[in-house]
This record gives sequence, C-alpha cells and structure tokens, in this order.
Amino acid sequence: MNELLIAIATIIFAPIIGGLLFGIDRRITARLQGRFGPPILQPFYDFFKLIGKESIVVSRMQFVWIYSYLVLMIASLICLVLQSDFLVLVFLLGFAGVSLVLGGFSTKSPYSHFGANRELLQIMAYEPVLLLLAIGIYAQNGTFLISTIIAQGKPLLFSLWPLFIAVLYVLTIKMRKSPFDISTSHHAHQEIVKGVTTEYSGPQLALYSLAEWYEIVLVLGIIVLFWANPIWVGVLIALAAFVLELLIDNVAARMTARWMVRLSWSVGLILGILNIAYIYFAKGVF
Amino acid sequence: MIDGMMAIAILLPVVAGFLIFAIRNYYLRGAVVIVTALLLIANSILFTVKGPFTYTPTGFDWGNLITVLDWAILALYIYLGLKLRNWLVLIFSITQVIPLAYFEFGLKAHAEVQPAFVVDHLAIIMTLIISIIGSLICIYAIRYMRDHEEHLHLQKSRQSRFLFYLVLFLGAMNGLVFANNLMWLYFFWEVTTLCCYMLIAHDQTEIAIHNAARALWMNCTGGTAFLLAIIYLYQNHGGPAALSIQNVIAGGVHNVALILPVALLCFTGCTKAAQMPFQSWLLGAMVAPTPVSALLHSSTMVKAGVYLVLRLAPAYAGTYLSTAVALTGAFTFLATSALAISQTTGKRVLAYSTIANLGLIIACAGINTPLSIAAAILLIIFHAVSKGLLFLCAGTIEHKIWSREIEDMEGLAAKAPLVTFITAVGMLSMFMPPFGMLLGKWIALEAAYKIPLAAILFVLASTLTIVFWTKWLGRLLQVMPKLGWPLEKMSLSYAVPLWVLLIGIFVLGIGIGPIYTDFISVATSNVISGTGVIASGWNSITLTAASAAQKGGGLLGSYPVWALFLVLAVALLIPMLFFGVKPKQLRQVYLCGEQAGGVDTDEWLAEADIKTKFILGGYYFQGTLGEKALNPWANTIAILLLAIMIVCGVIVK
Repeated sequence: MNELLIAIATIIFAPIIGGLLFGIDRRITARLQGRFGPPILQPFYDFFKLIGKESIVVSRMQFVWIYSYLVLMIASLICLVLQSDFLVLVFLLGFAGVSLVLGGFSTKSPYSHFGANRELLQIMAYEPVLLLLAIGIYAQNGTFLISTIIAQGKPLLFSLWPLFIAVLYVLTIKMRKSPFDISTSHHAHQEIVKGVTTEYSGPQLALYSLAEWYEIVLVLGIIVLFWANPIWVGVLIALAAFVLELLIDNVAARMTARWMVRLSWSVGLILGILNIAYIYFAKGVF
Repeated sequence: MIDGMMAIAILLPVVAGFLIFAIRNYYLRGAVVIVTALLLIANSILFTVKGPFTYTPTGFDWGNLITVLDWAILALYIYLGLKLRNWLVLIFSITQVIPLAYFEFGLKAHAEVQPAFVVDHLAIIMTLIISIIGSLICIYAIRYMRDHEEHLHLQKSRQSRFLFYLVLFLGAMNGLVFANNLMWLYFFWEVTTLCCYMLIAHDQTEIAIHNAARALWMNCTGGTAFLLAIIYLYQNHGGPAALSIQNVIAGGVHNVALILPVALLCFTGCTKAAQMPFQSWLLGAMVAPTPVSALLHSSTMVKAGVYLVLRLAPAYAGTYLSTAVALTGAFTFLATSALAISQTTGKRVLAYSTIANLGLIIACAGINTPLSIAAAILLIIFHAVSKGLLFLCAGTIEHKIWSREIEDMEGLAAKAPLVTFITAVGMLSMFMPPFGMLLGKWIALEAAYKIPLAAILFVLASTLTIVFWTKWLGRLLQVMPKLGWPLEKMSLSYAVPLWVLLIGIFVLGIGIGPIYTDFISVATSNVISGTGVIASGWNSITLTAASAAQKGGGLLGSYPVWALFLVLAVALLIPMLFFGVKPKQLRQVYLCGEQAGGVDTDEWLAEADIKTKFILGGYYFQGTLGEKALNPWANTIAILLLAIMIVCGVIVK
C-alpha cells in the first residue's frame, strides 16, 4: 500500500519537478546568451497549449510508441523511487528509448528517420555506461538493489567517481544538450528539423515533453544515488550537474553521432572498466 | 511404460521418418507428420510425469548396432568427401575414422555403460523443447515445402526426403540428451551432423552443397575431438566405466587428469554451437529452406552443443578451463552481436543473434555458479521458443515477398500486418523486458560478477543486441499515413505453429515463477548444487548471493515478473487496442518542400517540379562493423581463446 502511494506521488510530482527544471534551463540558457528568457513556468504553458490542440498524426503506430515511451519512462522512474533492482531500471529505460526510436521509424519521414537512427546510436552510447554502473554498484555493495545504496553510510562517489564522470555525459545525452543534441534538439537545426520528434504535434508532442520531464528527474535521480546518504548532498550534486550541463550546452558545438559513440565506447568504457577493475583489486577478489 | 516412452522418443521418429519417405501423397504424408508430432509432444509431456529415471535397453545388442551405424556414417562422410572432391570433408572424416578404428580394434574396447540413458530434469527440459518446438516446425514444413517447390518449379518432388531428415533429427536429438554412454552420445551426435548436412544440401544448388560440406567438415573436427576425449577417458580412467557421463561429472573436480578430455568435449560443444571461429557453418546453413534454419537454431543441433558444455559444467567447476569457457562464450556473444548490426539479410541477423545467445549460454556454463547455470537453462528454453518463432516468421515473410533482405521488408506492417505483429513480438521478446530472454540475461549479468571481464563483455554485447533488433524492427514498421490494413490470410500449417509459439512466449513468460520452482530449479540442481535463484509465488524472482553474509541480507537483485508484464500491457497493449485514428486526422509527413499528392503518396516535387519518389534506407555500418572489417580480428581472438581453452585442459588447478 505504501509502495502504491509512493508510486502515485511520483507520477504526480515528478513532472512538476521536471517541468520546473526545464523552465529554469530555458531561463539560464537565455541569460547565458544575453536574452531575458521566458517565465519559469513556460514549459507548463506550452504543455497545456499542446494538449488542447487538434490531434494530427502521420501513422497510427507512432501514436502507440510515443505513449509507450512515456509509460516505460514512468515505470523506470518508479523502479528508482521504490528502490528496486538497478538493472531492471536500466532495462526499462532501454525499452523506453527503443519505443522512441520505433516511433521515429514507424513513418516514412526522412527527418524522423534521421532522428531515430541517431537516437539508436545514443542508446548505444549511454546503455553500456549505465549497465557498467550497475556492475560497479554491485562490485562496491555486493547487490544490485537500490535500497542498499540508500541504506549505505558511505557515499558511492568515493569509490565510483570515474563512473560518475561517465554518467555525467549520459546526462548530457539524455538532456539532448550540446555536444550531444544529435537525435533531436531544443533548438532548431536545419539538417534534421526536430529529428525524432519531427512528426509529432499537438497532444502527442505534449506526451513527449511529459516523458522528457520524467526522464530528467530519473537521470538526476541516478546521479543522486552517488551520494544517497544524507540525500540532500546527492540532490545538490545532481543540481550542480544540471547547471554544469547548461554551461556545457552553451559553450560546446554539436558533434556527430559517430563521434559520440566513439567517445563513449573509448573514454566512457575505459573509465567504467578501470573503475570496476580497481574495486575488484581493492577488495581482493583476485 | 518407460520402454515405450524411450522408444517413442528415439525410435518413433526413425520409423515415422521412413514411412514419410515412402509416402508420396501430400495429404497422407502431412497426416503422418502431424500424428508423429502429436505423439512426440504427448510423450515428452509424459516424461515430466514419469521422470526422472535411468534406463538401459535390454533384449538386443544395441551397442553393436550403434558401432555398425557409426562406421556406416563415417563411410558416408568419406564417400561424400570423394564425391564432392572436398578435401576438408575427406581429411576430417579420416581424422574421425582413425581414432574410431583405434578405439574399436586397437583397444578392442567394448563400451558397456550402466545405465545407458539418464533421464534427469535437464534432459526432460531438453526433450520438451525438442519435441514440442521441433514438432511444430515439422508441421510448419509440410506446407512450406510445397510452396517452396512450387516457387522453384521442381519437376520431381523432394518433400518426402526433406521431411524424413527433419523428423529423424528429432529422434537423434532425443537420444543425444538422454544418453549417458559417451559412445552412444557420439553416435547421436554424428546422426545430427549427418541430418544437418542433408538438410542444408537439400536444394542441391552449388552454394547449398558447398555450405553443407562446410557444416560437415567443421562438425567433423568436433567429432574428432569427441573421439579423442573418449579414447583418453577409456585408457586413463579404467575402461568402459569412465565413459559414463555421470562418472565424468562426479569425478571431474577431484580428478585433475579428467580435465583434458572435458576440455576436448567443450571444444566439440563449441563447434556444434557454431561458436567463433566456427560461426560460418551456421551462417552458410541459411541457404537451406527456412524450416531447416528454424530447427537448427531453436530446438536441435546448436542446442546439442550448449547442452554438452552445460552438462559437463560440474566436471570443470573451479578450474582455469571454466574461466576459459566463460570468456570464449562471452567473446562470441560480443563479436557476433556486433557483426549482426552490419547484416542486410534478415536470416543472417537471426543467425548471428543465435550464435550470440549460444555464446551467452556457454559463458553462463563457464561462470559455473547456481545463478549462471539457472540463467543458461532459462536462456535455452526462451531462446528456443523465440528463435523458433522468428525463423518461422522469416519463412512466412519470405513466402510473402520472396526475399530475405531487410530492405525489402520495408513497410511490411502495411502489407502483412498479422505476420509483422507476430514478428515484432518475437523480436521484442528477444531483448526487452518483461520477456523471458531478458530475465535470463538479467540473471546472467548479475551472476557474471564472478568473472568481471565476462560481465563487461556481456554489457557491451547486450547494448549491441538492442541496436540490431531495433534497427530491423524499424524497417518493418515504416508505413505511409494510410489506415485500414487488411489482415493477410495464412495457411493453417503456417498459422498454428506461429500462434502456438507466440502464446508460448507469453505463457512461459508470465508463468515463469511456478515453472522455475517446479522444473528449472530442479534441472539446475542436476548440474550444480546450491540455490541462487528463488522464485516465490508468481510475481517475484529474487537472486541470492553465494554467501549470505553479504550486505542487503544476501539479496542480489529482484525481478518483478508480473509488474513488468503489467507495464507492457499498459504501455503497448492498451494503446494498440484503444487508440483509434480517424482518417481526417491523417496528414502527410514533413518533406521540407511540396508533396505531389495526398497522404498515401511518397512522391514530392523536386527541382523543376519533377515528381520524385523519396527512398529511405537503414543504417548498416558495414565499414566499421562489417564482416570484412571485424572477422580477421574476431576470428583470431576466437582461435586464441579456443587454444587457451584446450591448454587449460592440460594446466592443472
């Protein structure tokens, strides 16, 4: 019963936090670019405006996939707040990503396809980092359960700092910020239009931004895990990471998808592998 | 009773096979196939009631018959080598003849092993897979082969011959999983190799014969290693009694000198399971009619390879060999998952995915903990169902569009929505929660902590798996903004196996809790003692650590089965059933220019207002992940790993 209440509370409050974060993002980005920027509540105004619009679609399946993207993202977040298995969380998040990609593929639209292919490469870039993080958490804690991380006295950041760095660029990819705003972007880019979301409009686009709000809370929540006890330190670290992403977004140029995969599969994986190897050696497994 | 059950499992397919071979009438032959299939299925279910038991046939000198048939098979190999002028086939059949002759005449060995068959829970699970999925594929083949021959405009029907080998295969596989006598196991092993050759070569085209010959010689290398292991055991470990698998398993860890033959047998398993560098025979097998691929990939042949490695797991537990087996499998998992991304032919993607999953299963056997063995058995079951389904789908699609290329399957959702739906579920069941394959992968990942390098290889390979499935699925789903896709008609012979397997995925997936407790955990304990996976009730599967002293009360992880199925239902089922789209809601896609017609046209006005059709294609990354780019590296590493595996059989730990 208690778990059900937590889940319901998450479903209600997570998008409010996520929406506010996006509002802050737009404001800070505007200030960095010397503009005044929209009000903090602007994402909510946009959301309600989109919801009220006429529903226009280019393919029935696309409608289904964007909806499942949202549901799976929520399921993944519930996994986090209910402190269940971290690997299950990563798998659900992977399924959410696949839903978005399939949504992009299920129409004969060139821009949507560009975006979907690139989104798939993004999954290829961040999925191994999250899976390695799961193994890192296991190596450190001896279990994949998130509840143990929270109960743990000593923060994970001390032993898993290389993986923390890797997770930071997962955050960049997930927030679709430069240099990784590759599959779609918050700014217009003419060669892909709006990438994977090009063909979504009205209520479906609202669903997409809702899923994005859940997503940002989820990814920041994963960062909180690095310092889960006391949790306010973790929240501060997550917020700092969020602001750092905004700075990076405004100073970095967009990169190509292949560059992203190469970077992730070289630097990210080496960080992760060395991290795990170090813990194993330090714990005397070998 | 038991006599009858064993006879139905092993001998009925032989008898029925000859009957099928003799019957020339399509309907009568089909009826015989269906009756045989139903008998096999019923019989395999009976095993779950009567088993486990041990059995030694009496009243006839089966051992001598098997020896005679061994020689007959090897003589046939030599004949084929000479007829095809294929020196590799000839060389590797002779390398089998020499040790067999030494064993029979040099040692004057007489391999009497009591009991001859051990039917434990692992074997029962295998026979369920073989009998149920294999039989469904045989039923599917009845109609498929007729369509196949109509398409090829054959003068003389060869369907009887095809179905003969298909049914015979099932009998040989049943014998293989039950056999406790290594000499008998070897015999069934060679029968499957022979059936495999005959089925791949079935179309008699130049490429079919060439690829069949490759499958033959590669499996002959495995057969050679098998015989060497038998001779080594016989000479060094006290004659016939050493040839009992149960004795090898029981003595393995305590008797270091047993490790070399076990390493040789693992090598044999790897050849049959098409592990790198032997992957090319299974890829070549794709030229055969699709029921062959479905059979080879799901319930027979390659599963024999992983079965042998898994069966022997206790014999090499805790040795260097175990680690070597784990890394060999894990490397194949990674390399073939990468290669699958670059494939443009649907069946080749399926083939690479099979090899990858077999690698994962072998790696699980090598990790050799209660968790990983449970994962291996789960993966064998779920892979058989999902891959059987996917190959049958591939065959159905092929007979719809007469092509195997992924690019030709573009927009299949509009042309054949029913089979696309089944295929899509089959694909998702290979790599996504809540389906069983992912459950297996989840346990494998959480079990892999024992060998961190294997865990890292798993991580990379799982990621690549997502990429190639999603890419292919995306091509199927690409449709124009039109509504009202008429459902296609399917012949019953196609539809029944497809639907049964599809329902099977859900029944097994949703009911995995009780199924695990009643069957799989018992089968796991046939291989390794101790519990790792605990299924309580219907919903929860939890993993416990080897030592309870660990944090979190020794709990490694938990997997909410029903909750995940509920998520799937809310995420996909509900919108598919209830979200309707009205025609007036439809619009054209954005093309950054002027379209040349309504919502159902994919033409636009290009330069000088010329109507131009726009074409989309998939990404394949052949430059970086193609066979040309990866194979030299991957095969070299794989050969090294296999060599290390054999060396680990000599180094004692």
